[in-house]
Amino acid sequence: MMKSIWILAPVVLPAVCGACLLVSSFLEHLKENDSSISVPSPEKLKRLHVFAAAVLVLTACLALLAAWTGEHSVTLFYLMKDIPIYFKVDDVSRLFVTFVSIIWVLAGIYSLVYMKHEGEEKRFFGFYLLVYAVLIALDFSGNLVTMYLFYELMTLTSMPLVLHNGSREAIMAALKYLFYSMCGAYMGLFGIFFLYRCCDTLSFTAGGSLNTALSAGHEGILLIAVFMMLIGFGAKAGMFPLHAWLPTAHPVAPSPASAVLSAVIVKSGVLATIRVIFYMVGADFIRGTWVQTAWMTLTLVTVLMGSLLAFREPVLKKRLAYSTVSQVSYILFGLSVLQPQAAAGALLHTVFHAFIKSALFLTAGVFLFQYGITRVEDLKGIGKKMPKTLWCYTIVSLGLIGIPPTSGFISKWYLAEGALSANVGIFCYLGPVVLLVSALLTAGYLLPITMNGFFPGRGEENAKMVQIQEPSAGMLLPLAILAALCLMLGVFPNPLAEFVSGIVESFL
Amino acid sequence: MNAMIMAVVVLLPILGGALIPLLPFRKRVQMEFYIEGLVLLNSILVIWMLFHRPEEVFILFRLTGNLSVGFQLDGLGTVFAGIVSVLWPLATLYAFEYMKHEGHEKYFFMFYTITYGVTLGIALADDILTLYCFYEMLTLVTLPLIMHTLSREAILASRTYLYYSLGGAAFAFIGVIFILIYGNNAQFIPGGVLDLVKIGDKTNLLLFVYVLCFMGFSVKAAMWPFGAWLPKAGVAPTPVTALLHAVAVVKAGAFAVMRVTYYCFGTEFLRGTWAQTVLMIFVIFTIVYGCSRALKETHLKRRLAYSTMSNLSYILFGVVLMTPAGLVGALSHMIFHAAMKICSFFCAGAVIYKTERNYIHELDGFGRKMPKVFIIFTISGMALMGVPGLCGFVSKWNLAKAAVESTHPLAVAGIAALLISALLTAIYMMTISVRAFFPGKDFDYSKISDVEDPNWMMILPLVLFVIAMFIFGLHPEPLISALTGLASFVK
Amino acid sequence: MEFVQNFPFISIILSLFSGPLSSILDGKKAKRLNLAVITIIGAMSVAVLCFVIRTGEPYVYRMGHFPAPWGNEIRVGVLEGVMAVAFCLIMLLCMLGGIREREVEIETSKQNLYYIMVNLLLSSLLALIYTNDLFTAYVFVEINTISACGLIMIRQNGRTIVAATRYMIMSLLGSGMLLLGICFLYGLTGQLLMSNIQEAVAVLAKTGQYHIPLLVSLGMMSVGLAIKSALFPFHGWLPDAYGYSTVSSAAILSSLVSKGYIFLLVKIFYRVIGFDIVRDSKVINVLFVFGISGMIMGSLDAIRAKDIRRMIAYSSVAQIGYIYMGFGLGTTEGVIASIFHILSHAATKSLLFISASGITDVSGKHKDFFELTGAGYRNKVAGVAFTVGSLSMVGFPLFSGFISKILFAQAAVGHTFKMLPTLIALALSTVLNTVYFLKTVIRIYTPVPKKELEEKNYVTITMKEQPVKSAALICFIVLNLILGLFSQPIVTLIENGLKMFA
Repeated sequence: MMKSIWILAPVVLPAVCGACLLVSSFLEHLKENDSSISVPSPEKLKRLHVFAAAVLVLTACLALLAAWTGEHSVTLFYLMKDIPIYFKVDDVSRLFVTFVSIIWVLAGIYSLVYMKHEGEEKRFFGFYLLVYAVLIALDFSGNLVTMYLFYELMTLTSMPLVLHNGSREAIMAALKYLFYSMCGAYMGLFGIFFLYRCCDTLSFTAGGSLNTALSAGHEGILLIAVFMMLIGFGAKAGMFPLHAWLPTAHPVAPSPASAVLSAVIVKSGVLATIRVIFYMVGADFIRGTWVQTAWMTLTLVTVLMGSLLAFREPVLKKRLAYSTVSQVSYILFGLSVLQPQAAAGALLHTVFHAFIKSALFLTAGVFLFQYGITRVEDLKGIGKKMPKTLWCYTIVSLGLIGIPPTSGFISKWYLAEGALSANVGIFCYLGPVVLLVSALLTAGYLLPITMNGFFPGRGEENAKMVQIQEPSAGMLLPLAILAALCLMLGVFPNPLAEFVSGIVESFL
Repeated sequence: MNAMIMAVVVLLPILGGALIPLLPFRKRVQMEFYIEGLVLLNSILVIWMLFHRPEEVFILFRLTGNLSVGFQLDGLGTVFAGIVSVLWPLATLYAFEYMKHEGHEKYFFMFYTITYGVTLGIALADDILTLYCFYEMLTLVTLPLIMHTLSREAILASRTYLYYSLGGAAFAFIGVIFILIYGNNAQFIPGGVLDLVKIGDKTNLLLFVYVLCFMGFSVKAAMWPFGAWLPKAGVAPTPVTALLHAVAVVKAGAFAVMRVTYYCFGTEFLRGTWAQTVLMIFVIFTIVYGCSRALKETHLKRRLAYSTMSNLSYILFGVVLMTPAGLVGALSHMIFHAAMKICSFFCAGAVIYKTERNYIHELDGFGRKMPKVFIIFTISGMALMGVPGLCGFVSKWNLAKAAVESTHPLAVAGIAALLISALLTAIYMMTISVRAFFPGKDFDYSKISDVEDPNWMMILPLVLFVIAMFIFGLHPEPLISALTGLASFVK
Repeated sequence: MEFVQNFPFISIILSLFSGPLSSILDGKKAKRLNLAVITIIGAMSVAVLCFVIRTGEPYVYRMGHFPAPWGNEIRVGVLEGVMAVAFCLIMLLCMLGGIREREVEIETSKQNLYYIMVNLLLSSLLALIYTNDLFTAYVFVEINTISACGLIMIRQNGRTIVAATRYMIMSLLGSGMLLLGICFLYGLTGQLLMSNIQEAVAVLAKTGQYHIPLLVSLGMMSVGLAIKSALFPFHGWLPDAYGYSTVSSAAILSSLVSKGYIFLLVKIFYRVIGFDIVRDSKVINVLFVFGISGMIMGSLDAIRAKDIRRMIAYSSVAQIGYIYMGFGLGTTEGVIASIFHILSHAATKSLLFISASGITDVSGKHKDFFELTGAGYRNKVAGVAFTVGSLSMVGFPLFSGFISKILFAQAAVGHTFKMLPTLIALALSTVLNTVYFLKTVIRIYTPVPKKELEEKNYVTITMKEQPVKSAALICFIVLNLILGLFSQPIVTLIENGLKMFA
């Protein structure tokens, strides 16, 4: 068992490198004279970029290697008598690690260029690597307490990404992010205490390890505990009622940061929910109870509310943040009906949405990067100046709306079909209807940008538009890859779909 | 001989401390050496004693009737004496540096050292009367420490402290008398000493007395509504607020409550009664109340004091669960909170010492100027929040585990309170760290150009505490299993 | 019959006659005579105490060898011995502690008058302690009252005259009631010697005759003595009398005179009526209620007081309440606690009065609190002594007050109905005591800003300047510590003494 300890290499490597970067950035600040803020020399920056990129790629390779080369599990040490810090690679970890790594590397490459205009690059990359390490550890976590540990650490390490630019607004947003996440984490912890008592083991077991003998007589409180966990971990996933941090925190972060926040970090909430429901308590425990009903209701409310808010939001990044609120709740809805096909749809949508949303935020970053455009109405006619960017944007938008042949269609199909065939009363119909309405709204808030971008209308040429041109390859390439992935997975969804169905079969 | 050492460790600091103003020190360094040597010697004796535990009881003198003042060392006493003896030399070291700017050092160190002996007296007391005697003495010897600055504010604070403490002791006294009369033994016996034959049909009366006694002792542990003295006492010099108002004094209150609950009245008698319910309501309320007051407070030390109030009630919550696991949780939090809170107080003290700034909004940008202090402060804040890997999580886990296993219906509310409090802790601790490290884009660092890290005498204790927090957080098992063994007498 | 057995009689006579003798001496000599007399009597009391402890039983001493009912008897047991020793010791210390004040505050021509009064007072106290005759007791009660009045009046400012007049009126009211009670008893039993009365009363109680007159008589005597010892609500005369008289008067009055009456009451309970009969009567419940209200109300008044002397005086009201509460419990443990408290309060209260005078001396003779700021630094011994006294009053462990608190509480737990009121009153009164005593302690250790200090021109007194007073204070502190730390022998003595009473 201990032979597998090398799978922690992708955790340790970026953590150490990130910490080194942070320390060196801190030391620089200490040395710095109070009055003059020195700008790092280009060679130094270049070295930093090479270093960061190398670490990122190396880590990604290691992570993928660790994930896809057989069964591994490591018990690091015992936190308490029967609670080890325990890592185990299973199919869910593989799925998550893979898409996290892809996005992390792409967004990393993008930020090599982008972060020039934000400054403090050393600190940014330091935290960027740290969060990556934590995320990999989170995905590999083999029991609930280990997961909780890295869940908390993820919040703490990702917070500096949000407040990167140091404005008052950013700091307040970061604190808001912190407090909502903590609130959620503690609600989760509340449930963990009860699961510790009622489950055979805190290690993840497909199908759950609830001990009916131990839990007998405590069902009522246990249901409450599970519901608290759903709400708590739902906070990270932007589920109503703890969603409010998302539209505040995402827009103020630097665009690559908001891309990974929206695409990856919110998904840890999804991961935690999957682990709790399907690997700890088991779907059967909550099937047909008030918890399931309440959960479905909350997710559907969030789906609709997120779309509506996005629809009337003029600031692009905020609009995208609301869209995340809505879309992640698609996933949660898919999980909440407790039906294999819907769950598969949810997992698929997790991956697809990650690619799509990161691409969307990166696009918004492109607009913001050189020309400082934040509001939607300023984007009129932009398609003429940067057609490639806008095309990428359009493709992923279609994906998010769910129009074939893009990938979004596949996941939504699974979701809707699963919901219709599930035995959940009125939600069988209500669910798909809400999904459909929300898809329409999605179209309503995403496509006008494409239309106005390519067809600005006569005589409305924006004076600012004159010097606009396509961004550099470092920014465009990740965008293009993500868009391509979105299309590819839509056209050839089968390998992924089968893999996901395999996972779902194991626990449902 | 072995038993005599208990009396020695109690009396040595008391007598040695009383000598301080009389000795002719020519230089400050001489005094420092004398005090640190005294404290260190005593700590070594205590630790030696903990490993060679004397079995018998040592009677110092007899008061009246069968009442005597005597010492013994059992598991609970080991924990408390251990905490105190480790922290005292460190705090003294810190105090040397800190007290340079406060003045009247001789008297300060006199009372500071005497308090060491008195606190050990509480830890080693063999019966409830001895405990009570040292408990009262603790009030008295710490009073001059609060008054130290002799400002109007300090005088008022010390007065409040005195009224609350002695008032609480007066009610605790009723409980002491009842234990003496209705118990079949004045000494602390695991599982309680009550004589059920003597009690007869007076169960409710005894429970009422228990509630009175609990509340009386919990005044020192700052339970609502008797905790108002604690934030006010923050006017004292930081070594006092850190060591006494985060560890020695407040934990003496919690310790006394443990003694009364587990060693005098006995959990079998108390569990499931209305007394338990009433106390649990108070404790749970305090957990949340303390935190919310901390959130509203803008004065750094007072904020930490309110946080102490809440954290002390964690310990009391473990106590009122009245299960072995509850006692383990309470004891572990007693140890861990000592490390965490003393650490954050020392950080606050370092800020005050170097910069004379007291309010949180004045700390913007300090993270860059006092990096060591603020990194340590952030770590202790995270430990208080209960981030896994640091010790705060372990005790919180143990407490919650005990609460889940408890059959008491209010225990769940207790867990909820623990977590709400953790969230509030995150808010009130992290805002300070964020402000210190990220003061905002346009922050003008020249405003705080005078700020810098303190010297090694202040940093060394801090670093040791941080190491302790990590060790306890990552590898608490030996400690927890020792505590579990200790608490196994609870049925 | 051994020679020692004459000592009680000799000591009464000695102090009685040294009174008139003082009137022909001048102040200084009278003072020396007085001190010598107290010391000698103290030594003799110690000898008597040792004797009684050795023989282990009380003895009766007939004056002039006339048999009862004509003769006058003295009866000495352990308790009497303890009381006599304690009273002598405390009186000596009080006299020493107030020497300087007396010289300043009393006119030179009247110095010797003061010592007449003190000598008479001592003899009457001793007589109250030793006598076995109810009427003799009454006579000495009156002598006691008159000499006490003299002690108050001797310092001549307007207030003391008023205070003495009030004291006189209240006291005589009390004496009157006592006399009425004694007359009733005499009418019922035809006896005046205590032991004879007790036998007669036991017969009466057995047959159930004269139940109501007996009750009335007991009530009269109890209330009469309660008025004289300033039990709440009959304490109106006390604050002025203690507050404005010279310091040794206040100390002696509060710690000895009222205690003499209380001790007489104990004797009446045990040796005249019989404790069982007292327990069965309702009188005891009345005393209990008054005692408890006294504990609380006295302390509340003390909190309101603006003047340190009056504060201590009001605190006496509260402490007297403790003692009566102990009687009110109606158990032997309660009485033991009360008697111990008589000793502990006597030792503490005189300490407080004397140290308070030390504190006011260095505060420009002002007695109100604001002026006392920082006095503990200007007169170190007085400051420490006041702190010790306060802590003892609050019931702080290691000091005598704590032991009496424990004894009271333990006695209370044995009682079914009176337990909770007693315990809660004890706790509340502790809190209230803390409020006013320790507030003062903090006040005297709060430094005055330098500038103000220069304006105010306070004097500073060191130990060397007032060696006698300082020595007296230190003796008091030691006495307090002894009572607090080694109380067991004393409690045993009291127990044995009470057994000898019955």
